[in-house]
Amino acid sequence: MDNTNADIAKAPLPTASTLRRRQNLVVQAWRFAALNFRFLTMITKGDH
Amino acid sequence: MARVVVLGAGISGHTAALHLKRRLKGDHEVIVVSPNSKWNWIPSNIWVGVGKMTPAQVTFPLAPIYRRKGIEFHQALATELHPMGSPVEPRPHVSIRYTDPAHSGEEALVTYDYLINATGPKLNFAATPGLGPDANTVSVCTAAHAVEASQRFSDIIDKLKSGERQSLVVGVGHGTCTCEGAAFEYCFNVEHELRMAGVRELADVTYLTNENELGDFGVGGMTFSQSGFQTTSKLWTESLFRERGVHAVTQAHVERIEPGVIHYEQLDGSKNTLAFDFAMLLPPFRGADLKAFDEAGVDITADVFAPSGFMKVDAKYESTPYEEWSADDWPRTYESATLPNVFGVGIAFAPPHQISRPRTSANGTVITPAPPRTGMPSGVMGKTVAMTISDRILGDGRAPAHRASMATMGAACVASSGVGFRKGTAAAMTMYPVVPDYATYPETGRSPKDTFGEIGLAGHWIKFMLHVVFIYKAKARPLWFLIPE
Repeated sequence: MDNTNADIAKAPLPTASTLRRRQNLVVQAWRFAALNFRFLTMITKGDH
Repeated sequence: MARVVVLGAGISGHTAALHLKRRLKGDHEVIVVSPNSKWNWIPSNIWVGVGKMTPAQVTFPLAPIYRRKGIEFHQALATELHPMGSPVEPRPHVSIRYTDPAHSGEEALVTYDYLINATGPKLNFAATPGLGPDANTVSVCTAAHAVEASQRFSDIIDKLKSGERQSLVVGVGHGTCTCEGAAFEYCFNVEHELRMAGVRELADVTYLTNENELGDFGVGGMTFSQSGFQTTSKLWTESLFRERGVHAVTQAHVERIEPGVIHYEQLDGSKNTLAFDFAMLLPPFRGADLKAFDEAGVDITADVFAPSGFMKVDAKYESTPYEEWSADDWPRTYESATLPNVFGVGIAFAPPHQISRPRTSANGTVITPAPPRTGMPSGVMGKTVAMTISDRILGDGRAPAHRASMATMGAACVASSGVGFRKGTAAAMTMYPVVPDYATYPETGRSPKDTFGEIGLAGHWIKFMLHVVFIYKAKARPLWFLIPE
């Protein structure tokens, strides 16, 4: 049974401050650095 | 002097060829056979498909790069594999048919000491009647397809601007498709561009997928840690759909597509229809049409390749129930299961089974995503096999194989929409490993520290950075090899 659209309707919505944070240049510059670091950590973790 | 032949010049084959030449230098031959004259950074086709990039920004000609690096390039399609030779050539060889305009249709033999099959997918639009750019839907699988998608999407925006309501469907066109992440990304690019054009209110956007639930992405979903809680990729993805007002149909196998109508079956056995004015549906993949023969000319294709056309490698192909699936089922070295000195990498290798739990509808139709193995995993496999082959050529031929199982390899998926420094946003996800390993990570099968999702402008910057960096790497610019796969 596909209840997807009912589930979507119940999903949490981001708050206004979360939406602002997602576009805030200072916050996102920090997240850019943090995400790159986490990506690199993940990439180097493999046994290859 | 040894000769390595690489079939295919996509992410996996091109990566393998460059690393082979870097290590073998001029002492040995590296030959690339690819029917395409250009390399394509496929992840950015999404932006071509909404008119925000041109094909020239996501492709470049291969021949000048290979000329500069001393790699021999044949723009040709590999048609037959003769791993034990044939009556006309006793050495292992590949039959090829040229596709470049100067020699179109001409045939030749290329002998090899080592062979890498990196032929990628055959886009199997024929699996679903009415699917594809030659029929009723568009695609973003190639740059040319994406250009056509962009033109059709532009027409839809014009109609919306004239006040005409339009239905847009984005997703996958068969119950066994893969690359749901790409469809998801294109869906949100379409939604973003509709908003930017000021016509979002008149457009119904629907994501149509074979995933059992949103957030599956063909990897069985993920568990993220956020703000001190564990959450699922399902809830995380549903939140994005709600925020952007995108509808979804899951558990769907598209049976056929008529002009303006998609006919699909769902896991409960119900048969439904979905009307559309614009539909971008990805096709299922098959292996390339490559046949194999023994020295007497007997067809051994069924020994070398799975029924799907993908090459059998060092995976465990015995059929086992989902509950018994293990990380150990997945290949490590990508050496052919039957042929010496032959490897299958990227999409060309046959996975042992899906990653998502397999499901069939009440009518017996398989509706389960195939495992994704594009992008980062493809590049890692290409490099791994290049290291194995170069070690063997430079040593005594018995060097142990390098290993890179998808059960010990991570992957990142950055679904970005919009363009420009401030206008974009992205859903960035990483997982480690791609194939869940419940022996190492009993709770979720994946490392909680390395499996996460985040939405924001930063992911969009990363996506653009990856576009620039990987094209730089593929062009073999100075120090290209320092950039990880």
